[in-house]
Amino acid sequence: MRSVLCFGDSNTHGQMPGGTPLDRFGPQQRWPGVMGRELGPGWHIVEEGLSGRTTVRDDPIEGAHKNGRTYLTPCIQSHTILDIVIIMLGTNDLKVRFNQPPSEVAMGLGCLIYDIKELSPGPKGTIPEIMIVAPPPMLDDIKEWESIFKGAQEKSRKLALEFEIIADSLEVHFFDAGSVVACDPRDGFHIGRQAHEDLGVALAREVEAIGWANEHV
Amino acid sequence: MPDMRFAPPNPLRIADRASGLNAVSVRSYNERLLLSLLLQNESISRFEIGVKTGLSAQTVSVLVRSLEQEGLVAKGEAQKQRGRVGPPTVPISLNPEGAFSVGVSVGHKHTDVVLIDFVGSVRFHATLPNPTPDQNSNHSDFLETVKKAIQLLPGETHQRLAGIGLALPEPGDGAHNDPTPPDLRYSALQEEMEKEIGFPVFVQNDITSAAGGESMFGAAKPLSDYLFFYLGAELHSRLILNHQIYYGNSSLSFDVGIASLERNLQEINKPTEPLWDRAGTWPDYGKIKESWEASLVEQMKRSFNALAQFVEIKTIVLSSYAPQDICGAICENLESSLIGVKAIAGSITPSPKAIGAASLPFSSHFMVENKEK
Repeated sequence: MRSVLCFGDSNTHGQMPGGTPLDRFGPQQRWPGVMGRELGPGWHIVEEGLSGRTTVRDDPIEGAHKNGRTYLTPCIQSHTILDIVIIMLGTNDLKVRFNQPPSEVAMGLGCLIYDIKELSPGPKGTIPEIMIVAPPPMLDDIKEWESIFKGAQEKSRKLALEFEIIADSLEVHFFDAGSVVACDPRDGFHIGRQAHEDLGVALAREVEAIGWANEHV
Repeated sequence: MPDMRFAPPNPLRIADRASGLNAVSVRSYNERLLLSLLLQNESISRFEIGVKTGLSAQTVSVLVRSLEQEGLVAKGEAQKQRGRVGPPTVPISLNPEGAFSVGVSVGHKHTDVVLIDFVGSVRFHATLPNPTPDQNSNHSDFLETVKKAIQLLPGETHQRLAGIGLALPEPGDGAHNDPTPPDLRYSALQEEMEKEIGFPVFVQNDITSAAGGESMFGAAKPLSDYLFFYLGAELHSRLILNHQIYYGNSSLSFDVGIASLERNLQEINKPTEPLWDRAGTWPDYGKIKESWEASLVEQMKRSFNALAQFVEIKTIVLSSYAPQDICGAICENLESSLIGVKAIAGSITPSPKAIGAASLPFSSHFMVENKEK
């Protein structure tokens, strides 16, 4: 059995576009569930999606628990042994309150990559496969969220390249979710049911493409 | 001391998406390692790449992504593995349109010019009379043809031309009746081509080129150790061990080739033109051809047996521009008299030497080391 940790924000949690964290797609509809279905019975899927999660920033308004970096260590140790960690974060770091350019968000992701490598939660204490997924760019119209995310739309379109640069330099896997899905117009930054399906299938193919030996099953 | 982990990211290499082939200097060893594997295998999964190179899955992922963005490699459709449980594999292979190369072979009587793509398919081929030894000649014929080949490439792919390979006979080869020392003539030709056409030119011995061509794109692709024969005007050989082509005593050739058949035919006033026609088939020359083939096979056997005292070789590859059926018959003949040895006719057409020459710029740009020894 192989284990995959899906570490993300509301779009991993499965929050419905235009809804609240309580309006959530079902386990089979969320992308981690879709990916699990596609990968088949040999895989154990761990879902860790928290609405509002940032890469490395304590949120002064929503709370320090939104900081992805402080939660990553206990999270990973709880779910060890992990064959692969998929991280899809970044959108919440673009909130006005953090005032960060895309490159700094990518630097934050870099911290998470270093932390995972140090923890080495892979089989026999190895570094697991790490896959950075750039979230799909926000739409221009983000409804009542405009004040919270002012200026984020433009930055969100630059995340994929910045993430790819950090993934290349730290030698980890990378996937641009924007290449297969777009955000839902209902709020402009969450992904809808079909997008979860498409993203789950695409990520399953990406995970398979890594290539896995048959031993240690 | 700052924590260097958090210095600005320093990517291994992000392919410059706007331009064509990156300069040779920035192509990393690992990229070359991966491209070498792809040039040697039709397609290969990322997992197999990891096993063969010892690189981690994550490093392979970065390399493949970068080469994919550069247009050099392409991802295939996922394939369910036969007889194996587990996820389907996704084959990676070279993108045929990823790079192009021109090969020129100056032969006994003709010069062949080919344009090939990244997987060795011939996109253009022309046969010309040899460049004349006239001092005032600038080989315009030859350069014009090379230019014509390059012009066949759509404009945006011009920057994907890796270069021009030139396959030349060994200096002192008796087949040439030119008073200028061949090496001087050849280096002048190389210089002139680089200046005129503006692409790097790589020069190699023509027999070694033919062996390199068969090894990269032809019948010898899956083989690592074999004895290579080239049947041209004369018979030449090369030894290939662990994919390395050994030059050996390269000027040694045997006068049992097509030129000797031509002489025998001339003695009895038979037409010999078909012998030098690349596209043609040979008419039935009857007994003359049979006895020529016998002496050719005899020489090949002698070479093989001499070598067999030192290395164990199980395979012979015979390359030639002579028709496939002629080579096939020679191989059959050879196999029947050498027990346990497989003789394979080369599969590169129309000109193994020119296509081999065209593989030179690819080796130089994309492979870990030049296979020539």
